[in-house]
Amino acid sequence: MKALRIALAVVGLLMIGYGAIRLLHGLPPAMLAVLGGWLLAVLIIHHGVLSPLVLAIGAALRGLPDRGRGFVQGGLITAAAVVAIAIPLIMRQFTQPPAKAMLLQDYRLTLLVLLLIIAGGTCAAYAIRVARDRKTSAPSGPPTS
Amino acid sequence: MGLAWGDEAGQTEVVSEATARPAWWPHFSSTVRSTALTARLGRALGIAFAICFLTGLLSYTQYLTWAWLPKPVVPTWGYRLTQGVHVITGVACIPLVLVKLWSVYPTSFRWPLFPSVKRVLEIASAVILVAAVLVQLVTGFLNLLDWRPFRWDFVVVHYALAYVVIGAVLLHVAIKLPDIRYGLGTRLADGDVLTEIPWDQNPASHSNAGPLPPPVTPGISRRGVLVATGTGIGLVVITSLGQTVRPLEPLGLLAVRQPNKGPQGVPVGRTAEEAGVADVITSPDWRLTITGPNPYGLSLADLEPLAIREARLPIAAGQGWSAVADWRGLSLLDLVVRAGGNRESRVIVRSLAKGGITKAELTGSQLEQAILATHVNGQRLDPDHGYPLRLVGPNRAELFDTKWLGTIEVLS
Repeated sequence: MKALRIALAVVGLLMIGYGAIRLLHGLPPAMLAVLGGWLLAVLIIHHGVLSPLVLAIGAALRGLPDRGRGFVQGGLITAAAVVAIAIPLIMRQFTQPPAKAMLLQDYRLTLLVLLLIIAGGTCAAYAIRVARDRKTSAPSGPPTS
Repeated sequence: MGLAWGDEAGQTEVVSEATARPAWWPHFSSTVRSTALTARLGRALGIAFAICFLTGLLSYTQYLTWAWLPKPVVPTWGYRLTQGVHVITGVACIPLVLVKLWSVYPTSFRWPLFPSVKRVLEIASAVILVAAVLVQLVTGFLNLLDWRPFRWDFVVVHYALAYVVIGAVLLHVAIKLPDIRYGLGTRLADGDVLTEIPWDQNPASHSNAGPLPPPVTPGISRRGVLVATGTGIGLVVITSLGQTVRPLEPLGLLAVRQPNKGPQGVPVGRTAEEAGVADVITSPDWRLTITGPNPYGLSLADLEPLAIREARLPIAAGQGWSAVADWRGLSLLDLVVRAGGNRESRVIVRSLAKGGITKAELTGSQLEQAILATHVNGQRLDPDHGYPLRLVGPNRAELFDTKWLGTIEVLS
């Protein structure tokens, strides 16, 4: 395993180096600074804003009963995937010449439709789970205490 | 971090170091996070990145004009497929990366922050990996929307950063290989809880405490996280693919392009106005100039009787959208032969467009198959589709299906 790890690390470092050299040669210094700013900004936004927000939402859900909470969490994860893609679309909708056939939808509306579908699907999954638990007359989930 | 264990005394010392942190230091208690979960998310991400890298390299060859580099004409839908896969895989990576990073967020809060040179290098590699991946995915997605607030040349940075991303992934796998083996070799529900304390320093981990019952996840289960993430990604993929897969167009709730809404049933990459050619191309004095051993020119009226070659070909853009259309026009090779060239010639077609990519170079089978289209789907080309004359060919990027042609150069 050690040989494999060394080989992976060497190839990885070489590729990072090649990419870095291409960047240094391909971009004027001012643009490299802009790129550096972006690389830093995504880290700060992800680690400093997005992640604490997710933790806060998780903490806020702690008051819910366990069985229902799992489905709310699942629904939110699915919804987050859709929202992450929809937000830039919403910000850019109707900004382009119509001939490009791009961004011609009201993505606020399509996002709403998708969120309703996710909410409906989550509720249905929860209802099935509740019905199944009732049939077996004992919760099928792991013990909670 | 390795699999090898120190002696009993050494281990106790490490454990006490990890626990002797300030009281205010964050503690992550969620039992959902586990190396078993992270390794599975990472495996999916690794496969997705590999697909993006290989299809991306293929796409980059469209920009190259190396003589030895073959540019095959079969399958005609080749670029349509590989670039469609590239874009949809990249889009799918956005939620996947966010969940993957959520699963390892506690590792950002290890104590002490800089215990050893090895750990500092590990942090540095993780910083490079996360920053490069996030910039790559964010700018890649913004580029699909023709939105480039970053101002740099997208292709230059996207291509170079791809090497940094893949290199950093390989380095990351090298560093984490023992964890990856543990994670993938452990049942999802059984895996150690991942907290801010590394598992080899955590007295409560399986490896240190011996056989333990699976951690209890009162809310969502680890499998639930995978199912929810997969469902979200599935929804994104199905509702985005309509921009290139016709049957899915009605479901394209998140599709950037809607091919049906383009003029003559084909979307436009760059409009005539954006290319600054709106006035030039409508002039009755337009002429196509062909340079070579026997130079000549063609007027608008000359085009019509020559436009007899027909083909059904997809227009496939680097941004992942595509549409099949029926094209009619002139055979480029016929014009080249008339100018004194032949099948072996190197030919450059030039656009009247101002700025951006304004030319394409053709050789070999690409030259033989190329059509200078005057008509699409039975109608005279719309100005935005390259009126009066545009290049179309099999297995090509839309960017190099040069529009608003002005000159053809037969070079050798």
